[in-house]
Amino acid sequence: MPWSRIEQSHSAADSGRIISYKDAIREAIDQAMIHDPRVFVIGLDADDKFGAFGTLLDMTHPERIIGTPISENAMTGVALGAAVSGMRPLYVHLRVDFMLLTMDQIVNYVAKWRYMTQGQVKVPIVIRAVIGRGWGCGAQHSQTLSSFFTHIPGLKVVMPSTPYDAKGLLLAAIKDDYPVISIEHRWLYKNTGGVPQELYTVPLGKGRILKSGNSLTVVATSAAVIDTLNGCEKHNLDVEVIDPRTLKPLDEGMILESVAKTGRLLVVDYDYPSCGFAAEVCAMVAEKGFASLKAPVQRYTFPESSMPASGILERAYYPNPDKIAARIKEMLAEQPVLSRA
Amino acid sequence: MDKLTKTTGIALLKKLREIRQFEERIIPLYPTDVMVTPVHLHIGQEAVPVGVCAHLTAADTIFFGHRTHGPALAKGMDMNKLMAELYGRTTGCSRSYGGSMHVVDPANGMLGSSAIVGGSIALGVGSALAAKLSGQDRIAVSYFGDGAMDSGVFWESINFAALKQVPVLFVCENNLLSNTMTQAEHLFAKPTAVVQNFMPAFSADGTDVQSVYSVVGEAIAHIRTKRQPAFVECRTKRWMKHQGVDRDDLTYNKVDPKQDDPIWKLEQGLLENSMITEAEIKQITKDIELRIDAAIEFAQNSPFPNAEDLVREV
Ligand SMILES: Cc1ncc(C[n+]2csc(CCOP(=O)(O)OP(=O)(O)O)c2C)c(N)n1
Ligand SMILES: [Mg+2]
Repeated sequence: MPWSRIEQSHSAADSGRIISYKDAIREAIDQAMIHDPRVFVIGLDADDKFGAFGTLLDMTHPERIIGTPISENAMTGVALGAAVSGMRPLYVHLRVDFMLLTMDQIVNYVAKWRYMTQGQVKVPIVIRAVIGRGWGCGAQHSQTLSSFFTHIPGLKVVMPSTPYDAKGLLLAAIKDDYPVISIEHRWLYKNTGGVPQELYTVPLGKGRILKSGNSLTVVATSAAVIDTLNGCEKHNLDVEVIDPRTLKPLDEGMILESVAKTGRLLVVDYDYPSCGFAAEVCAMVAEKGFASLKAPVQRYTFPESSMPASGILERAYYPNPDKIAARIKEMLAEQPVLSRA
Repeated sequence: MDKLTKTTGIALLKKLREIRQFEERIIPLYPTDVMVTPVHLHIGQEAVPVGVCAHLTAADTIFFGHRTHGPALAKGMDMNKLMAELYGRTTGCSRSYGGSMHVVDPANGMLGSSAIVGGSIALGVGSALAAKLSGQDRIAVSYFGDGAMDSGVFWESINFAALKQVPVLFVCENNLLSNTMTQAEHLFAKPTAVVQNFMPAFSADGTDVQSVYSVVGEAIAHIRTKRQPAFVECRTKRWMKHQGVDRDDLTYNKVDPKQDDPIWKLEQGLLENSMITEAEIKQITKDIELRIDAAIEFAQNSPFPNAEDLVREV
């Protein structure tokens, strides 16, 4: 199997060339297709001149990039059929909102196929989706929905925040014999960072501490990681910032260890609040790390509302580095309510 | 001009020009960032919404997708409200929460539009079902592009509408493009050839408002009298890029500035038949410009929403 030779690089040293997040994704896909002839890409406009925001341009194997009609639900079944028949499809959606048309195939089929066949049939499918508001796109074109997928048993969910993780997690997802949903925030595409040239994987289920600190633990996802880091730097905050990288499986140990040190937890997740990923992390810490907590856990998410179109409301809707820093300061200013004997 | 009376011809011209001129004014404004919302312009395709909506009353409902300005204005939306929505102001048709892709005007039969391709086709069928169940004599229109016919929901809606015999008009505004894909690249069969197994299926020249007006007239007569569904495909040309305010530059989407221009065609016809004079055309054009000036001023002077009102009607 071509993939067993690929080393997992557990050290998160971002070494080597500096390239963009977008190019890291492009390189991962190109290398995966060269490395393994079973890998192919499918998606609406995957083969057009924009190449999925540039992540599919100038591929070594353009013959394995398949454009589709606007038929997302059936196409997901097509990809699944190919996956169970020995291929390794990578489905790309230019907006996560279009994935809602495929929820039947994803939830009833993709997520359950391995289970229902009790592993006799493997499901090596990766579904990429791009998220992120912008330019008054409004309620149907600005969603995140990562929590949605995280809710479903049988799906792994990754949300890379750095170029290094973008390449490594995507390759890990393609290598994996389970379905993986990969969600990419388009504000991250231009960000740059060190990315090794060779094939490597970032293990699914391992978080990363991007900044260490003592007074509070922030667990943040995707673009929220970058905003949190920027907010902490600008406001000089002594907090620990954890990027779980994989929403499921979740690196619970890393989060619990950090909370054991800081005693405080804020989860920043740019998604709807109810039953969301932030709630899940808070519940997990309340269940397994209650004794470490000095103050109530908190979530910073979108408000309980769809996304408005108007720019003023759009900006009010989204957290940003200053707002995150303000929330952290508020939490730090409060006296610990939970005193431990 | 064999099919149009003078009154109808001039009414159609006014609507065509209203949509064209409204959008032509968006073009220079858009790069100044006063409209923070993606726009899918109708320029070149105006004959389709105008020819269709000329047969509709305010009570007839219509459901369309992301390319909203044409059908919205044709169905009777107030220009001020549409402009204010593009400007993100509270006086906009969706109070600034919707933007270009989500417009609404219940009084004129517009009960909301969707930016997810295909889905709203089913809503037109449901609206027709409601008319049938409640004994109303109005009809409903599902209005969509060729790309939407790729979707399962289109075929499921056609099937259900035929099974239940509901008074719905399916209008495919076929610009032969789904974003940058040609119809041949995204849809295998000729839509009318397949749909005619379910219901009467008509074809019109979507660059010619006379053609759309007369063909849709026939289809709607069928729906109104028989209370049964019908389908019309209107082949047209997209002049602009899929989104934004630039001219399209796809080599396989060549536009003829006359033969593909519904306004030029109608004006030629009206002039040749002495139904209008050059001076009258100038006056119509000028009146519309003044109304657009007023709409822009209305939008500019309207308030932005308050951040405190972020969570509303959730
Ligand atoms: C379900 C879904 N998939 C993809 C898109 C992205 N998208 C927006 S418009 C469009 C093309 C639609 O073509 P068509 O239906 O012919 O309408 P036109 O733009 O030509 O008026 C696509 C693919 C979407 N909005 N919804
Ligand atoms: Mg089209």
